[in-house]
Amino acid sequence: MQTSQEFSKAEKFWMNFKLYQFWRFIVLNIKILAAVYQSKRS
Amino acid sequence: MAKVVVIGAGFAGHTAALYLGQRLGKKHEITVISNRDVFGYVPSWVWVGVGHMKPEQTVFKLKPVYDKMNVKFVHAAAKEIHPDEGDQYVMGEEIGSGKEVRLDYDYLVVAPGPLLNFAGTPGLGPENGFTHSICSLPHAIKSRDAYLALCERMKKGEQVKIVIGTGHPGATCQGAAFEYIVNVHKDLVKKGLRDKADILWLSNEPAMGDFGVNGVQIKRNGHVMRSEEFLTSVFNDHGIRYQVQSGVTKVEDGKIHWQNYEGEEGTTDFDFSMLIPQFKGQPFKFVDKNGEDITSKLTNPAGFVLVDGKYGLPYPELAQTPDAWPSRYQNPTYKNIFAAGIAFAPPGPISKPFTNKNNLLIAPAPPRTGMVSGVIGRVVALNIADLIEKGEMTHSEPMTEMVAACIASMGDSLWDGNAVTIVMRPVVPDRKKYANEFGRDLFTSHLEMGVSGAWMKFMLHHTFIWKFKALPGWTIIPE
Repeated sequence: MQTSQEFSKAEKFWMNFKLYQFWRFIVLNIKILAAVYQSKRS
Repeated sequence: MAKVVVIGAGFAGHTAALYLGQRLGKKHEITVISNRDVFGYVPSWVWVGVGHMKPEQTVFKLKPVYDKMNVKFVHAAAKEIHPDEGDQYVMGEEIGSGKEVRLDYDYLVVAPGPLLNFAGTPGLGPENGFTHSICSLPHAIKSRDAYLALCERMKKGEQVKIVIGTGHPGATCQGAAFEYIVNVHKDLVKKGLRDKADILWLSNEPAMGDFGVNGVQIKRNGHVMRSEEFLTSVFNDHGIRYQVQSGVTKVEDGKIHWQNYEGEEGTTDFDFSMLIPQFKGQPFKFVDKNGEDITSKLTNPAGFVLVDGKYGLPYPELAQTPDAWPSRYQNPTYKNIFAAGIAFAPPGPISKPFTNKNNLLIAPAPPRTGMVSGVIGRVVALNIADLIEKGEMTHSEPMTEMVAACIASMGDSLWDGNAVTIVMRPVVPDRKKYANEFGRDLFTSHLEMGVSGAWMKFMLHHTFIWKFKALPGWTIIPE
């Protein structure tokens, strides 16, 4: 069942690049809140 | 004046109590009965389990919050529910004194959380077995102590085996176990002990990253990416071995017995193991006006309360029938009884179940914890308020429409911590609404790993505790 799939060096770089991650933090918050409030009106 | 009783004060029960208090507390009588007098923020027990958070940072006293929200609190364990019209009440036993308590109700919310069924797997669990758990705060503390003792052995040069995952073929909450295994990995890396441990993920999921919800699928750069690929990369990257499609059948001192899809029986050795048990409904008795036990009429065999779902559909049909999932969580026989969170009976599994040649059913149960519990608690509370004030319900939210977000942290550091952020919409695939084989909104669903997830997790810990304490603005923080 074990495979050799791993993250690439580029993926690992972006995962730890703080400025990019700060942008992702904002995007993730907006994305989650938008999805939640869309469904919360039921 | 209407009387509403809420059994339980976890994510579902406490959320329901806050909304009921806000809408009805001043005019009606809202009572919470719970065997615990504190609220526990369960998602952070993962950090307690590796010694990164003090237990007291994850709990707070319930009574001061309820006093503020005009909700009565009874510190007692509910024992019996008498649902027949004319004389509807809950019998409980006060914690400490053992005195009997009777609470009359017009509306009842059953939300006591799960019974951790360690007895379902011989040798499982921290009390009468050989494994650990992070499903309750005392268990997380025990888990931490055992883990830290193991670290001391590793510091002396000992090589150890760590097994984390699910401890029953029908267990749920794989997400919590996943979070724990990656936190253990990260902690060992920080302590410089990672090379002393062989870490194995042992799970009943049909595939890596299934999480009991048939996995998560997202669209990225024009192609569909599955959580299976993503989680496999995480484990390979961390040097964590994995074994899925396996149901744990028995645990002995240092040895886990399992069976897989092929029907093979095997054993895995361990020095430290954290395995999530099967969840069952709390063992209340429902008693009719003649004093007869009618529990089997109101609950499924696992003890979960039957609600407005369509039960008994075979899996292939259920997977194509989104309306089989309940939307109001109301018992069909006793319409003033609602069940929220883990307590409601799901119509079946979300992930494809599998029975091996030895007739062992390996099927992760649908997760109904965290965000799902909170959302259901809110829907139930608002509907009860509607029934009392307007005579009809106006809210509904089946899991086939619900959005869920889950942040699985890997270390708690805001500088070099990491986390997987998972958003899925809907939790239960709706293959009629979403025209793809997964039945999910591939645009909204999301899977991402990075430091930003660690910041999200930190933020969620504080904002949710703010919300659950009913501090100013708590209603604008989503469940």
